Amino acid sequence: MSAGSSLPYRLRPNKAVDRELFLSLLMRLAPRLTLEKYHYIGLGGPFLEDFRMIHGRIGIAKMTCIETEEQVHKRQIFNRPIASIECVHKSLEDYLDETDFDSPTIIWFDYTEPKGITTQIERFARTIGTVQIGSILRITLNANPESLGKPDPKDISVEAEGDVSEDRAQKPTTQEWRLARFKERLGSLFPSGLTADGMTHKNYGRSLLRALKLAVDKEALSFRDRRIVWALATHYADGQAMVTAALVVCQNDDQAIEELVKGWEFNSTTDAPHRVALPALSTLERLTMESHADARTKMGFDLPKSDMGENPFEVFKKFYRIYPHFSRVEL
Amino acid sequence: MTKTSTDTAQASPTKRFFVSMLTRDIHLADAILDLLDNCLDGAMRLAGGKEVDYALHFVKIKIAGDHFSIADNCGGIPREVAKNYAFKMGREPDDDRDSDAETIGMYGVGMKRAIFKMGRNALVRTRYGDDTFEVPITSAWLAAKNWDPLPINEPTEASEQLDEPGTTIYVNDLYEGVARHFANASFENEVRTAIAEHFTMFLQWGLKVELNGTPVEPVRVEVLVSTDENRPAPYIYRKTIDDVIVSITVGLNTGKSLGDDEDDDAGFERDRSSATAGWTVLCNDRAVIVGDKGRLTGWGDGIPLYHPQFAIITGIIEFRSKHADKLPVTTTKRALDTSSNVWLESLVKMKEGMRIWISYTNQWKNHPRSDQSSHWEDARPMALSMAIETVASRRFTKKTNDFIEFNPQKAKVLPEPEDKKPSSRKVMFSRPAEEVHLVSKMLFDNPDEKPGIVGDKCFEMQLTKAKRQGG
Ligand SMILES: Nc1ncnc2c1ncn2[C@@H]1O[C@H](COP(=O)(O)OP(=O)(O)O)[C@@H](O)[C@H]1O
Ligand SMILES: [Mg+2]
Repeated sequence: MSAGSSLPYRLRPNKAVDRELFLSLLMRLAPRLTLEKYHYIGLGGPFLEDFRMIHGRIGIAKMTCIETEEQVHKRQIFNRPIASIECVHKSLEDYLDETDFDSPTIIWFDYTEPKGITTQIERFARTIGTVQIGSILRITLNANPESLGKPDPKDISVEAEGDVSEDRAQKPTTQEWRLARFKERLGSLFPSGLTADGMTHKNYGRSLLRALKLAVDKEALSFRDRRIVWALATHYADGQAMVTAALVVCQNDDQAIEELVKGWEFNSTTDAPHRVALPALSTLERLTMESHADARTKMGFDLPKSDMGENPFEVFKKFYRIYPHFSRVEL
Repeated sequence: MTKTSTDTAQASPTKRFFVSMLTRDIHLADAILDLLDNCLDGAMRLAGGKEVDYALHFVKIKIAGDHFSIADNCGGIPREVAKNYAFKMGREPDDDRDSDAETIGMYGVGMKRAIFKMGRNALVRTRYGDDTFEVPITSAWLAAKNWDPLPINEPTEASEQLDEPGTTIYVNDLYEGVARHFANASFENEVRTAIAEHFTMFLQWGLKVELNGTPVEPVRVEVLVSTDENRPAPYIYRKTIDDVIVSITVGLNTGKSLGDDEDDDAGFERDRSSATAGWTVLCNDRAVIVGDKGRLTGWGDGIPLYHPQFAIITGIIEFRSKHADKLPVTTTKRALDTSSNVWLESLVKMKEGMRIWISYTNQWKNHPRSDQSSHWEDARPMALSMAIETVASRRFTKKTNDFIEFNPQKAKVLPEPEDKKPSSRKVMFSRPAEEVHLVSKMLFDNPDEKPGIVGDKCFEMQLTKAKRQGG
């Protein structure tokens, strides 16, 4: 577990919205799939916040929290908000290998480590065939392209808007260098035709999601009883850039779930993830933006553009409904 | 002694048997590549023995859950060829079409096999010069017991015309498994990769291939070559064997050495190398095999089995001949005829080239690639023919009328590590991440130093102590 992932949600508003999006998806599917009978498996971190919320909103009782680090595992047992949560000291992979599920599951592969991305993607893809039909799978992947490594500056040339450094013909740009590493890591999962442009901070998340989609599609070819319906894809950053994707494993001939998902206001697929980049706001700003159609005029100033280049007013408009209010409480 | 009676025994194959046998061994993706081969053969025929300008040609392929189509502007099928050969299952021995061009069509099954593999209903429409006609292959024809010839229909409406000479093949009523593949993104990716690899030369020469509306970019298979006489260059070899010109190069690619990399997919001896590591085999510019790392190309056969340490080695071999039947390929054109003399003789040279670079990577095994990089600074990635051309002019290159050979080891242009110690041994162990962080924090005031560096420092500390104790 990296340091970043144990920060509480209130310090990471975009992650909070991302999680709300997933909860909103679950609530939409709950009556149709009777989600309360499902088994939820996740990596809760020291505070098990997602467990508390999923139990609260959906009413799932059977929950398993997986953790590899012993001290964190003990802390989880201590912090466990609901007695029915089973805390297991294992890797998620080992747990999945050793468990036969007798009900459909919701599994959140909450990977934060950039290392081993290929293994993570393959593991996720493989699971679509081993869970029961009706299961919901979600993955989080580290989408920081710097995790591909840093080239030695003297091995790199630079290029910007047509201007190039002298050594351009002999040396790759940082993006080209990353592309070569990406290809080495992904092997046959590499999306053919992907270019160096897909390795920038802005686009790397999408490139990862493309590889994920290919891996899942490839696996899906081997199963005739089921079909994959992609429900939600996001790209967000609170410090570390992350992408997520969630899918429903449907009966081969099912139409109803697909319709339900397609009609959902936040439905998004891997080729066009939601970019969740909310501005940091004061309470007054927030209330003003919620209550005024043209908040920009009312406030009389611009908000800084997000790292992902999104317009903060538009992002706010899209997500304010599920943007949680955080406030400080002294105990 | 018997005498002939008036009775005869039927010996012709049933259509059902024939079609199912024909389509059994070919992969769906390879069937599509076969159709692309035909387009290129068409372009070559159109050029009539002169050099083909591939930039003038396009091939547009569409794969979808309910149909397949491929359209080209490669000159079309002459009516005589359509009447007598093109739709025949297999070539007659007296058929000497295209004998003066480096085409790859030879068994006369590619187009039919691809169509039968995909679906029950197809239409081949073609325009050769100003002559446009079409040949339907229907499910009724397929189901019929006899081998009636196929009709040749002529257009009556403008929509049945083609804008320029070329061929369009349309298949629908797809088989269930085929439809599932054609609608699947990972299959589309597989086809795109296969085209990018197998037709890389043509794509580099400007041929435009589109798959579902998106252009296919070539995958470059290249080795690093220094133009400087005294600096490293790949092994090269060229010789004419049995009417086939064989060209070989073995060298380093631009990949990162993986053997000494920090292991980020721990516990997984996966091959993360680029597809272009290993051997690529070209026949008349088509890549028949790309990035082979198995016994087929000599690995594990008198030289070590492939291992990630060798991921920086790339070998390219090309066979070129006007007699397609002399090339060491099988009917699927994605596999080699490994018993042919040309192949066996070439394999010896391929292994010779590989040994040079295997021993090179062994020497540098425990050194980061950055130590080697100063020697390779001015080296540039080059495709096979360019590499041979560049290296051929070196002083150390052996040249006679019928062959060229350059061995970088013998020419002494390969760098050696400065501290080359034959006694070096690798020490390797694994510990839980928490423990590595803990030690790293103690030694470096940073919990995230690389495990390899943490381990190395620990060893150094003990070594200092051991030396002090007068070991
Ligand atoms: N796209 C095309 N352009 C031009 N000629 C074609 C095309 N497709 C097929 N043909 C003709 O049809 C013939 C039969 O093709 P095929 O069944 O693949 O057998 P082969 O290529 O081995 O001769 C080819 O030789 C060629 O003359
Ligand atoms: Mg052919």
